[in-house]
Amino acid sequence: MKIPLPARFRTPVLLMAGLTLLVALATAIGSEQLNFTLTEMLIRMIVVIGLYMFVGNSGIMSFGHIGFMGIGAYVTAWATLAPEWKQVMLQGLPAFLQEHTYPFPVAVLASGLVAAGVALILGAAIMRLNGLAASIATFAFLAIVYSVYSNWESVTGGTSSVIGIPTVVGPWTAVAFACLAVVAAYAFQVSRYGLMLRASRDDEVAAQSSSVDIVRVRLVAFVCSAFLVGMGGALYAHFLGVLTTDAFYLALSFVTLSMLVVGGIGSLTGAVAGTLAVTLIVEILRACERGFALGGAQISLPRGSQEIGLGLALALVLIFRPAGISRSREL
Amino acid sequence: MLQVENLHVSYGGIAAVRGLSLTVAAGEVVAIIGPNGAGKSTTLAAIAGGVSPREGTITYGGMGITGRRPEDIARMGVSLVPEGRHVFATLTVEENLAIGTYMLGHRSKTSADVAAVLERFPRLQERRHFPAGRLSGGEQQMLVIARAMLTQPKLMLVDEPSLGLAPLIIDQVYDILLDLRRRQGLSLLIVEQSTSRILKHADRIYVVRSGAVQLVDRAQALKDGEAIKRAYFGFEEVRA
Repeated sequence: MKIPLPARFRTPVLLMAGLTLLVALATAIGSEQLNFTLTEMLIRMIVVIGLYMFVGNSGIMSFGHIGFMGIGAYVTAWATLAPEWKQVMLQGLPAFLQEHTYPFPVAVLASGLVAAGVALILGAAIMRLNGLAASIATFAFLAIVYSVYSNWESVTGGTSSVIGIPTVVGPWTAVAFACLAVVAAYAFQVSRYGLMLRASRDDEVAAQSSSVDIVRVRLVAFVCSAFLVGMGGALYAHFLGVLTTDAFYLALSFVTLSMLVVGGIGSLTGAVAGTLAVTLIVEILRACERGFALGGAQISLPRGSQEIGLGLALALVLIFRPAGISRSREL
Repeated sequence: MLQVENLHVSYGGIAAVRGLSLTVAAGEVVAIIGPNGAGKSTTLAAIAGGVSPREGTITYGGMGITGRRPEDIARMGVSLVPEGRHVFATLTVEENLAIGTYMLGHRSKTSADVAAVLERFPRLQERRHFPAGRLSGGEQQMLVIARAMLTQPKLMLVDEPSLGLAPLIIDQVYDILLDLRRRQGLSLLIVEQSTSRILKHADRIYVVRSGAVQLVDRAQALKDGEAIKRAYFGFEEVRA
């Protein structure tokens, strides 16, 4: 299959160029609020791309990926927090974590690897289930991660916040990782494994008779996608500096899934576009909730408009553009 | 090459195949015909590993393959062309074909193999960058056969290749299948509902009804059709 080189790499190159340009523009404006929003969006984009890698190519919805994000976030917290703090607050940590701190790149990599390891064990069990059952199992996984992390006080601090994580992630670091995610997801989808997985999504019977080992290709995608999402969680921790288990549960699951659906589940372009579009909608609604002055009168939307607006956007896209704003096609 | 003995398959307590036996010799074209619900497709699915038999043995090339995984059986050289034109709708024609070559494992030959097969299907050649879902029914059937060819099977199981196709297209499909047999010594086990066409092309015919073989003979011997009618419908035609 010889496609000329430029066409073959067009999608990832365009996406990366667009994101880099966006960050360059935003940092030129130099508003702190804008940088904050942009960084958060790019980190979510990494998570959404990770989610796409599995959901988009396999056709199996996952409600559990935010669990991998939480796992990644806590791994990097364990690795990078100051030993004095860990010895007081997280007494259950093993010595190699409690007594040392590790540099940011090592910690982020470890976050990805631990999330991938968990995905390997979980995936080995649930990838043989049919689509819907597997989706529900991923939701159960999210609930398990949430309850374990909320109650395992000696290691996670339970429901109290973990503070003091070095906040080293700004827009440029975030966009670098987002580009990495774009490259990884694209490389996967055009690889043999990606192609076999997409084939199994289109038609399981035909994939089997072409000798595709469906369980295995699904598992490979699940593990790779958990790696990206785990890294996204680590970046999120280094962006906020504070962790609570509540941050990695239903609200974020809903937002990231909406991003993927709005953009178009079936394409990488959709994952990127959906993150941009949903962030824009949410930011506008958030601004309206804060309110603005109009001819002396203060007008503001009631609290909760964000969620309602997002739900509406999701419904409208599903009605008028079921394959998402990208029509599930690539650039 | 293929022996099926005393095959029983049930779906949740309902028996679809009850004690069916058949053989296919190397290079032979064998057809299974019979009415709806006779167990024809189930038999093919059982051979390909898609469903597990409750009882009976399936031997291929001297090896027992009963209950093995479909992808393993495919790797041994048995290729199923399922009923209903199972293409990978969102993948391009070329990508559909590439999938066919993957199980062979020699990465470098993928594009050469695909190109060689495309040469025999001019319509697919023209549309090789199209998503398979946008092809016509006949083109999709060709694509599925082309994809099956790329797995380099020794035995191809073809389920109702003529279903829903125009007569002219059906002839083309059969031309390709028989050409494969002639050139590569491929064995074919074909399930059909319409008898007239298959009588022309097959070496031997099995008539199946109610999950068991009612009649088996050389296609030549069945030309007049009376014996088939009796076996197919299960009663004598009463003439006034």
